[in-house]
Amino acid sequence: MARASVELHAPVTGVRWWREVGWRHVVGVVMVVVCVTPLLYVVSASLNAGGTLTGSNKLFSDVSGANYAELARTDFPLWAVNSLVVCTATALGTVLMGAAAAYAFSRFRFQGRRASLTALLLVQMFPQMLAFVAIFLLLLTLGDVFPALGLNSRLALIAVYLGGALGVNAFLMYGFFNTIPRELDEAAKIDGASHAQIFFTIILRLVSPILAVVGLLSFVSAFGEFILAKIVLSRVENYTLAVGLYVWASDERNAPWGLFAAAAVLAAIPVLLLFQFLQRYIVSGLTAGSVKG
Amino acid sequence: MRRSIPLVAAALGVTLTLSACSGSSDEPTGDASSAAPELTGTLTVWVDETRIDSFKPVAESYQEETGVQLDLVQKASGDIRTDFVTQVPTGEGPDVVIGAHDWTGEFVNNGVVAPVELGDKAGDFAESAITAFAYDGKQYGVPYAIENIALVRNDALLTETPATFDELVAQGRTAGTPFPVVIQQGDQGDAYHLYPLQTSFGAPVFAQAADGSYTPELALGGEAGTAFAAYLAKLGAEKVLDPAVDGDKAKQAFLDGQTPYIVTGPWYAEAFVEAGMDITVLPVPSAGGEEAKPFVGVQGAFISAKTENSVLANDFVTNYLTTEEIQDELYATGGRVPALTASADKIDDEVLAGFNEAGATGAPMPSLPEMGSVWSFWGTTEVQLIGGQATDPAGAWTAMVTNIQGAIDG
Amino acid sequence: MSTQQTEPATAGPEPRTPAPEPRRRSVTSHARDIKPGFVVKLVLVALVDALGLYGILAAAAVQSWGIVVFLVLALVAVNWVYFSRRMLPGKYLVPGLLFLLVYQLFVMAYTGYVSFTNYGDGHNSTKADAISAIQVQTERRVEGSPTYPVTVLSRGEELGLGIVDEDGDVRVGTPEQPLETVDGAQADGDRITDVEGFEVLGLAQIAQRQGEITELRVPVSDDASEGSLRTQDGSTGYVYTPSVAYDEAADTFTDLETGTVYTPSRYGTFTAEDGSRLTPGWRVGVGFENYTAMFSDSRLSGPFFTILAWTFAFAILSVVTTFGLGLFLAIVFNDPRVRGRRFYRSLLILPYAFPGFLAALVWRGMLNPRFGFINEVLLGGADVPWLTDPWLAKLSILLVNLWLGFPYMFLVCTGALQAIPSDVIESARMDGAGAFRVFRSMTLPLLMISVAPLLISSFAFNFNNFTLIYMLTGGGPNFESSPVLVGHTDILISMVYAVAFESGVKQYGLASAVSILIFVIVGAISYAAFRRTKTLEEL
Repeated sequence: MARASVELHAPVTGVRWWREVGWRHVVGVVMVVVCVTPLLYVVSASLNAGGTLTGSNKLFSDVSGANYAELARTDFPLWAVNSLVVCTATALGTVLMGAAAAYAFSRFRFQGRRASLTALLLVQMFPQMLAFVAIFLLLLTLGDVFPALGLNSRLALIAVYLGGALGVNAFLMYGFFNTIPRELDEAAKIDGASHAQIFFTIILRLVSPILAVVGLLSFVSAFGEFILAKIVLSRVENYTLAVGLYVWASDERNAPWGLFAAAAVLAAIPVLLLFQFLQRYIVSGLTAGSVKG
Repeated sequence: MRRSIPLVAAALGVTLTLSACSGSSDEPTGDASSAAPELTGTLTVWVDETRIDSFKPVAESYQEETGVQLDLVQKASGDIRTDFVTQVPTGEGPDVVIGAHDWTGEFVNNGVVAPVELGDKAGDFAESAITAFAYDGKQYGVPYAIENIALVRNDALLTETPATFDELVAQGRTAGTPFPVVIQQGDQGDAYHLYPLQTSFGAPVFAQAADGSYTPELALGGEAGTAFAAYLAKLGAEKVLDPAVDGDKAKQAFLDGQTPYIVTGPWYAEAFVEAGMDITVLPVPSAGGEEAKPFVGVQGAFISAKTENSVLANDFVTNYLTTEEIQDELYATGGRVPALTASADKIDDEVLAGFNEAGATGAPMPSLPEMGSVWSFWGTTEVQLIGGQATDPAGAWTAMVTNIQGAIDG
Repeated sequence: MSTQQTEPATAGPEPRTPAPEPRRRSVTSHARDIKPGFVVKLVLVALVDALGLYGILAAAAVQSWGIVVFLVLALVAVNWVYFSRRMLPGKYLVPGLLFLLVYQLFVMAYTGYVSFTNYGDGHNSTKADAISAIQVQTERRVEGSPTYPVTVLSRGEELGLGIVDEDGDVRVGTPEQPLETVDGAQADGDRITDVEGFEVLGLAQIAQRQGEITELRVPVSDDASEGSLRTQDGSTGYVYTPSVAYDEAADTFTDLETGTVYTPSRYGTFTAEDGSRLTPGWRVGVGFENYTAMFSDSRLSGPFFTILAWTFAFAILSVVTTFGLGLFLAIVFNDPRVRGRRFYRSLLILPYAFPGFLAALVWRGMLNPRFGFINEVLLGGADVPWLTDPWLAKLSILLVNLWLGFPYMFLVCTGALQAIPSDVIESARMDGAGAFRVFRSMTLPLLMISVAPLLISSFAFNFNNFTLIYMLTGGGPNFESSPVLVGHTDILISMVYAVAFESGVKQYGLASAVSILIFVIVGAISYAAFRRTKTLEEL
C-alpha cells in the first residue's frame, strides 16, 4: 500500500509468497477469465462475416475482417467521432463543475449546506427514463431561443448530461476532498493565496486520483447512454455510438449483428485507452504525494 | 428551420420560373410532376432503418423532377411510431412518415395523421392494400408494398409439398435435421408467425365485418381458440416449436441446413437466396382444417395532421408515390410485392411470387387501436403454452382472452 | 507528512474545529489588486452576460416569457455571486446548479405536471388540435362525385378554386361565393390559365400558401348540403360534406345525420349522452387519479407488492454483490507486491468498457437455454432454463448485473483507497493488528466516508435499472394469466413501462405519476440511509 514501507520488507518467497501475494494472482486470473469470456464471444462474432451475435458458439470458427471493413462504409466513423466529442466534453465539464461544487461543500460552511448536499444526491435519483416528454419539450423551447441548445444538437446533449454534473460524481469527489487535510489550504491562505488559487493550484492537484476516476466514470456513462441521446439527436449523422448501435439492434428482422459486434469491439477501445492513460493518476496520486510531502 | 423555407421557395421560385419560361414554351404553371423543377422547399420524411435505403433514390428523383427536397430522417423502427404520435402535436414532427398500415388506428385515434384522397387512383392498387389504410371510412395512407409470411422449403433437403401441418412435421422429421420446421418465437413469443396456424383453427383475432374491415370484437377465443391452444401445447411438448428459437436462430438454422422448413417472410428469404440456397415458397399448410391465413402487412406513407407543407406532402404522397415508375423502383430496392397492380404484375421473381400467392388469402393485420392491447398478451400466452409453463392450455387461453378484453376496456 | 497532519481527514467533513469564516473573507478580497484570475473572471462573466442578453432578446422575440424570466434571474444571480465579496460557495456552485436547474429540476417539475393530466393515447394534444382533427376526420367525400382537376386562384388575399366542367365551362368560386360559371376565361385542357379578376397561382405561390390552400372549402352550390370542393395537393379536388358540425359558441359537435350532440367532458373528449365519443380527445387535468390508479386498479395493485419486493431485493443485492466484489478486488490489487497489477486492472474494467445495454444483449444470447454459449459449450449441452425459470432468471439478472457493475465499484474503491493515509494502516499493522482487523476497523470505515453516498445512489440506480431488465429478460418469465403483462423479474420501473407503454394504450400521465412515486420511495429510503451515513462520517 505504501511504497516507502514495503521497500523495507525482504522479497517474500515460498509459502509466504503464496499466502500474501500468490493467491492474488489466482483471483486475478479467474476474474480476468470471467471478464473476458463474454467479450471473446463478441470478438468472435465480429470476425465472422455472416454470423450473428447469438448464433454461433464455435468461437473463431471463421476469421475475417469483413465486418470491420464494412463498418467504414457505414455511419460508424461519424458516430465514433460524435461520441468522443460529446463524452470528452461531458467528462471535462463534469469534473470541473463537480470538483468546484465538492470544493465548496468541503471547504466552506454555509447555511443550508447539509440540506443542499442531501438534496443534490436525491435529485439525481429521479428516473429520467420516463421523462422523455419533458426533455423533448424543454429542448424544443430552448431551441427557439438558442438553436445550438435545441433538438438534434450535440451541444444540447452535452448540456443535458451536464445537468447531472452535480450528482453522484460530485459526491464521490466531496468525500475525497474531505480527506485532504485542511491544514494545507489554511497554510496557503496564510501565505496570501486566494480561494481560487488554492482550488486550482493546490487542491485539484491533490485530488487528481478522484478527478481521474470521475472523469472516467462520466465518460463511460455518457458513452453507453442512449435513452436521452436518442431523444435529443434525431439525425443519423449526429448519433452517438450508443444510439447508432441501439438503432442497429432494434431492427427486428435484419439486425446487422456482425457489424454490431465489430462496432461494439471498437467502441470498447476508447474507454480502455482512457483507463490505461488515467490509471497512473488513479492509483498513484495522493499516496505518492503524501509520502513525499 | 423548416418554417423559413416557403420564403426561400418564393424567392427562388421567381428565378426558377423565369428560367423555365425561357427553356420551354409550356405554361410556367404546369402540373406538379412536369419535367422542369419549379419548386424548392423541403419535405421532412421519417423512415426507419429497414426502409431508408429504398427511399434514398426516390428522394433524389423527386427532387430532380420537382425541385422539392425530401429530407429523409432515419428513426429507429422501435421508436418511429411513438415519436410520431408524441412529436406531431408539438409541431416538430415530420411532414410524412413511412410505415406500416397497422399504425393507422393509433394515429387516427390521436389525431396526428391527415386523411389522403386517392380518388380514382385507388382502383389501380391491390384492394387489400387500399383497405388496409382505410379507417372508419376514410383513407389515411398511400400503400407501396405488401408483405406476408409463408412456408419456405429448402429444396436440397425435401421436395414434397405437405397438405397439412402435421404432414409437414412428419416429413420434416424424415429429413434427418435437428428441426423438422422452425417458426421463430423468443421469450416474448411471436403471435405474428403463428397466426397462419391459428387461423387454420378458425380463430381470427378480431371479427371481420362484411367488407373485410375489423370490428373491435375479439374472435380468438371460444372452442376454436382453445383447440389451437391445445395444438400449440402439443407442438411444444413434441419440441416442434421451441421458445428458444428466436428470429436470428430460426434464420441461422435454415441457412445452416438444420431444418427443411421455415415459416418466414421475404426479409429472410432474401438472405436465403443470396446465400445461394435452392428454396421454394409455399402457403402455410393448415393445422386445424381450415385455410391458414397469414397476416398481410402493407407499407405506405402517412401525412402528418400538422404539416405546414400540406400541398407538397399531398403531392408527394398521392401523385408521386403512386406512379408505376416509383412503385417499380421501390420494388427493385425493397424487394416487396408492389401495392400498385401494374407494378405487381411485372414481377417475375419466383420467391416473391410465392409469397404473393401465399398472402392472397391472408387478412390485413388489424389496424384497430385495440390491437395494441392484444400483441403482448397473445405472444406471452403462446410462449407459455409452447414452453409448457401453462399446464392447462384451454384455461390459459381463456384467461388470455379475458385479460385482453380487460385491457381493451381499460 | 506526519500523522498529526492527516488526523483531521479521519474526522470527515465536519471538522471539530469551527470554520473561521471572517478570516477567509478578508483574505479573498480581490478589489485591492487586480490579478490575472480576476481578468479571466471578468471575461467569462461578460461572455455569460452577452449570451444571456442575446437569449433574453431572442426569447422575447419568440414570446417565450418563461425563458426570459429565467434568464433575467439567472443573469442577476450570476453577476451578483461573482462580483460580490460574499457568496464564496456560490462562486463554485453556480455553474453546476444552473445546469441542474434547467436539465433536472425543470424535467422533474414538468413530469410532475404531466402526472396530473390524462396525457396519453387519445389525449395527445390541445383541444384546438382535437377539434380540427375531428373536423378533418369526419369529412366525407360525396359518394359518386368525380375527381376535379382544380386550379388555385387568388384575388388579393382571398383564395379561390377553379375547375373546368364536363362541358368545358370554367367555374370559379371562393369560400364566400359558391362555384359559378365565368365567361371569357382561358383554359388549357382542364387547367385554367387565365380568368378575369383572379390571379392563377403558380406552384411556387401554392407552396407558399399551403396551409391556407388545404383549408380552403369552396361550396359547390348555394345548397350547403351538396358539399364543398377542396384540394389537398393543389391540383386535384374532390367534393366533401362534413358529417359533424362544430358550434363554436356552444362548444359542441352535432352529428348532421342523427342530430346527436357531443359536449366536452371532464376527461377531455366530446361525449354524447349515450356515452359515445368522438376521437381524438385532448389533454386535461385529472387530479390525483393517476396516483390512485396504482392502488385502486386491481389489475395493477395485484402484482404491485410482489414486484416491489423484488425491486428492493434486486437493488440491495446488486449493491451488496457489486460493492463486495469490487472492494475485494481493489484491495487484492492494491498490494504493490503483485506484479502485473496494471494488466489485471485493465482487463477487470473490460465489462465496464462495453456499453451496458449491449452487454445485456450478449448475455441474453449466451444464456439462451437451448443454444446459449453457457449451456451449450460451458455446461456441455445442459438444459438449464436460465432466463425462463422464475428463480434462475432472478439469479441470472443478479449475476449479469454483478458482471456489469463490479468494475464501477472496483474503480471507485481503487480510487478511494488512495485517499486512505497508508501510514495509519501501516502503524496499525505494526501494532500487531491482523489484516482482517485492520480492514474491519480502519480501512472500511475510512473508505465508507467517501463511498457510502455512492452506494446509496447505486441503490437508486439499480432500483430504476430499466435497461438491464428490459434487454436481458424483458421482465419475463411473465406471470401466468396475469391481467397485466408483468413478470417475475420486472422491477417497478419496467412494470410501469409495460403497463403504460406496452399494453397497447400509452399513458404518459400514469407513467409520470408512477415515476414520481418511485422517486418518492427511492428518495425517502436514500434520505434515511443518508442520515445514517452522517453518523458514520462523524465516527
